[in-house]
Amino acid sequence: MTKGNHINDEERALERLKDILLKKDRAELEEIRSILHSQEKLTEKVKPILLDHFEFFKENFSHEYESIINELIDKKLKQSEQELLDLIYPSLGKMISKYVTLQMTTLKESIESTVKSKFSFGRSIKSFFTGVKESDLIIANANVSTVEEVYLIQRDSGILLASASNNESMDKDVVAGMLTAIKSFVEDAFNKDAQDLEMIEYGSYKIIIRSYYSFYIAMAISGALSSTEQNNLAENIDTFASNELKSFKGRYESSSAEISKLLEHQFIV
Amino acid sequence: MISKKVILTGSFGVGKTSIFNQFLFQKFSDKYLTTIGVKVNKKTVEAKGQEVSLLVWDIAGEVTQDKVPTSYFLGASGIIYVMDLSRPLTFEKLDSDIAYLEELLPGAAIKIVGNKKDLLSKEELLEAQQNISKKLDAITSAKTGENIPDLFLNLAEELV
Repeated sequence: MTKGNHINDEERALERLKDILLKKDRAELEEIRSILHSQEKLTEKVKPILLDHFEFFKENFSHEYESIINELIDKKLKQSEQELLDLIYPSLGKMISKYVTLQMTTLKESIESTVKSKFSFGRSIKSFFTGVKESDLIIANANVSTVEEVYLIQRDSGILLASASNNESMDKDVVAGMLTAIKSFVEDAFNKDAQDLEMIEYGSYKIIIRSYYSFYIAMAISGALSSTEQNNLAENIDTFASNELKSFKGRYESSSAEISKLLEHQFIV
Repeated sequence: MISKKVILTGSFGVGKTSIFNQFLFQKFSDKYLTTIGVKVNKKTVEAKGQEVSLLVWDIAGEVTQDKVPTSYFLGASGIIYVMDLSRPLTFEKLDSDIAYLEELLPGAAIKIVGNKKDLLSKEELLEAQQNISKKLDAITSAKTGENIPDLFLNLAEELV
């Protein structure tokens, strides 16, 4: 027997031995391969495991990942702080402004009611000597209502006759026209007893309207305005209309500059 | 300077707002957005050597004028009654509408306007004019701006 023949015999014997020993393992390996290469079989095997995992994930998500997610949100919020502020600020600002105005109005009305019902000797004395109303003394710091604009407008046409303003608003002729259009619409739509539109509210703005025979006066006010203040302003407007405007009867348009000065002196300054 | 209230009125979709925008801003849009209620704006023109501030009220269109809230017309010195030359339906009520406006605002200057000239050929334009019961004061195109400034200028001159 040569040396080469001897090696071949050994190899064959080894292969036979491997066949005997690894037969079961090889069959299992073949089975695993067939599973891996068949999507249907693989799905059948993996699906229950994944479902179990999802169930676990659902039940333990907050516990397992809470800290990671919180960190991510914190980081994102810090990175986008300006964008978020830009988004939230306009709405928040309006909400706060409206809320503060409402609270101030409630506060003023409550104080006025207290002043009416409870007598205070000291406050009365101070009020007497300074000439300032008792309620005004109490809420001096909180009195935030301001007359922003006053318009004298021809009643039917909506043509602006005179105006005075605290600031530069849009074209006053157009404002007067649109106010008249709104007033006409409301009075036409809801008027059953020849009543006039007396108030328009927009956010923290109020427009008091006093209508007379040939003209009306519209006054835009910002800030908190109690019902007493509102009544006082309405009375002041009525007094102005009957006393100051009387001498301009029939020549309102040609006396526009003069009346505007009077309006400014009476209501704005 | 004197101020005059001018009303733009007529049936819906005749081009009142387009005339309004063309006169005030020299702009035209093909988009049709129906006017809700009324829109007011002003423009100052010079008529007979005098500055006239025209306060123009662009009123939402109605099929007949008696459906427009009367308070919108009160105090108006001029009325521009607009029709769509390409839609005969918009000039069917011309006689009764003008009679109503004359009764409501005696003394006011009324201009009868045929708009959308750009949509019609010469022959169609002639035919449309023959079917309109009153003489037109202006034939306009809000799209091209043709005759719009003259319309308001003529009205302003009449109001001075």
